[in-house]
Amino acid sequence: MTDSAAFEPLAMDFDGAGDGGERALALLLLSMADDEFVIGFSDSEWTGIGPILEEDVAISSLAQDELGHAQALYGLLVNTVADGRDADAWAYDRPPEGYLHARLLDHHRGDWAMTIARRYLYDTADAARLEALAGSSHQPLRELVAKIRREERYHLMHVQTWIERLADAGGESRARLVAALATLAPDAGTVLAPLPGDEALVRRGIVTEAFATIEARWRDAVGATFRSLGLPTLPPTADPDHARSGHSDAFRALHAELTMVRQSEVGATW
Amino acid sequence: MTDPLALDPVLPPRERSALPFNDDALDHDDRYRHFEEHVTGGGKVEATDWMPDEYRTAVLRFVEMHANSELMGVLPEREWLMRAPTLRRKLALTAKVQDEVGHAQLLYRVAEDLGKPREAMVQDLLDGKTKFHNVFHYPTYSWADIGIIAWLVDAAAIVAQQALRDSSYAPYARTMKKICWEESVHIMHGRDVVLTLATGTTAQRASIQEALDRWWGPLMQMHGPRSDRAKDRDIHWRIKAKTSEELRQEFLGIYVPRIREIGLTIPDPDLALDPATGVWAYGEPDWNELRTVVTNHGPKSEERLQFRRDNWAATQWVRDAILSAPRAEAVA
Amino acid sequence: MTDSPPADRAGGGDGSSAPGVLEPWEVFRQEKDGDPMKHGGSVMAPDSVLALHYAREMYSRRQESVHLWVVRRSDIHDLADLDLLQPPLDRSFKKPGGYVMRAKLAAARAQSGESKPKANKGAR
Repeated sequence: MTDSAAFEPLAMDFDGAGDGGERALALLLLSMADDEFVIGFSDSEWTGIGPILEEDVAISSLAQDELGHAQALYGLLVNTVADGRDADAWAYDRPPEGYLHARLLDHHRGDWAMTIARRYLYDTADAARLEALAGSSHQPLRELVAKIRREERYHLMHVQTWIERLADAGGESRARLVAALATLAPDAGTVLAPLPGDEALVRRGIVTEAFATIEARWRDAVGATFRSLGLPTLPPTADPDHARSGHSDAFRALHAELTMVRQSEVGATW
Repeated sequence: MTDPLALDPVLPPRERSALPFNDDALDHDDRYRHFEEHVTGGGKVEATDWMPDEYRTAVLRFVEMHANSELMGVLPEREWLMRAPTLRRKLALTAKVQDEVGHAQLLYRVAEDLGKPREAMVQDLLDGKTKFHNVFHYPTYSWADIGIIAWLVDAAAIVAQQALRDSSYAPYARTMKKICWEESVHIMHGRDVVLTLATGTTAQRASIQEALDRWWGPLMQMHGPRSDRAKDRDIHWRIKAKTSEELRQEFLGIYVPRIREIGLTIPDPDLALDPATGVWAYGEPDWNELRTVVTNHGPKSEERLQFRRDNWAATQWVRDAILSAPRAEAVA
Repeated sequence: MTDSPPADRAGGGDGSSAPGVLEPWEVFRQEKDGDPMKHGGSVMAPDSVLALHYAREMYSRRQESVHLWVVRRSDIHDLADLDLLQPPLDRSFKKPGGYVMRAKLAAARAQSGESKPKANKGAR
């Protein structure tokens, strides 16, 4: 169970969020939106410098998709919290410690192997999470998830193609992939770490399975792929109590950059 | 109504009559003469047609510089990709920079089919042996620069690109149609950014005027010095249709009123339209600056080329990897 | 175990295999349901899987296609010989415009005493 204390600094963010169930829903939406927002930024760093021109265009589309999902999820959050903040305010106007993305997404962009390893671990975990939301009792979320899952199909095809190629190419390629996984895999489970209010989410049918169940299913699937590719076994999650808190210097640097223009003239229209 | 069967026979003209320059049996001078007649008479050339070396070289050089410019044109805007101030601006700017990469792909494909491999073109660019447009050698200082680039640099480029949609080299002409279609949104995005700043806070309004002041000189240089139409081989071969001055006049005609209507001041006291001739007079652009900049001695030339070299080297292993991994086959 | 791919994954392996080449794949696209497939352009890719991914990026990232094909350029066989495609002798008997009846119709009307029908909505 994630340490609820890690979320305490955020209590003030949810004044308008109603009872405990609403707060749990808001935390779910915010953590998902922040995941998509941050991985969208990481991937968009490749725009213009991808390994081949065609792939450069492809990774940029993935980044735009993730940012689009973030925008839509922040939009649901706006309605859930209803404290007057719009989607941009949620996306841009929080201090770095106020972001709830998983620690998997806290690493530097790194090389192409880091990007593929991160995308593989995140996309598979996200797909498992979306599967458990496809039958959500919260209608706006259920409807959005149906659309997001249609877009994520291509993401899974793309990253499956690449992880196989990097693994099968052997040599430097495989060595870089293995090194990237050594860095990222201990944080991969953070995407599916239980949120505060996990039980309330399941009890209300907002999520149709407990996160522990989702995570076990995801570990089975990833384990099978890694075995077939001869990649190291997925390790358990390191420091599971701080799955979405205590963000890295890499994220703080990204945060400083992404808020730079907006903070230069607070309250202006851009 | 006319009975269609009562019409006199009207047989369609052949879309593409036999092209004598494709006849291997003719000697070079005859082929050259037939080719020149075909092209100067408005005919189109495909990649698989015979063409004189002079034509092939001229098209390749023209398209390669265009492709280089798309690829290097990514970099100034890319510096602001991580700083776009709203979700929508972030999406729009990412998509715009992505389009430029996509246009580089389309144009390098055209050039590759003329016989120069992509790797060789990238290497020549990185080695400083080939050129890219002047505007991409300059620094960016603010978000307002991004608005001016997306609106006016793209507008100046589109004016030139629209005139290339009827290029004699058909693969290039087709590509320009696709590119012009895709770029029409860039100008809208840029104009929206500029308008938002021009109607924003005092600091925002100042920033957009400062950006215009910075970019006006390079914009006026962008299409190049006036040249003699009769001596321009690219026009002779109908690779392009318009001279530098014709493009600049067209740009001024459309955009000066649009810049002025939103309260911005163009930093050229000599800029004026002669109502009698319809020709714009303007302060002489600094052609020495243009020559200095396009020979890679601009303020950001070396830094941006080095950035490209570093990233090209850092991703070499990926290109090697996808070629050494086993081939996959798509299943329906 | 992790230094090289498992033996059942063919090819590549130690990274020392002869490098392949990116090759051109021609892209055909259908703009909307019912339209013909039309040539769009080409992408460079090592195989059909990535060729399809890249065709999607280059020819439908603005949702401008509903169906794509990729064909390895070397699998396309070309015919542009005008002696075969545009044979020079008369083929007007194969085309509607090759049938000229104006004078014969006038003669027939004169013979029958009928005037030219006012409306002629049927094609034939």
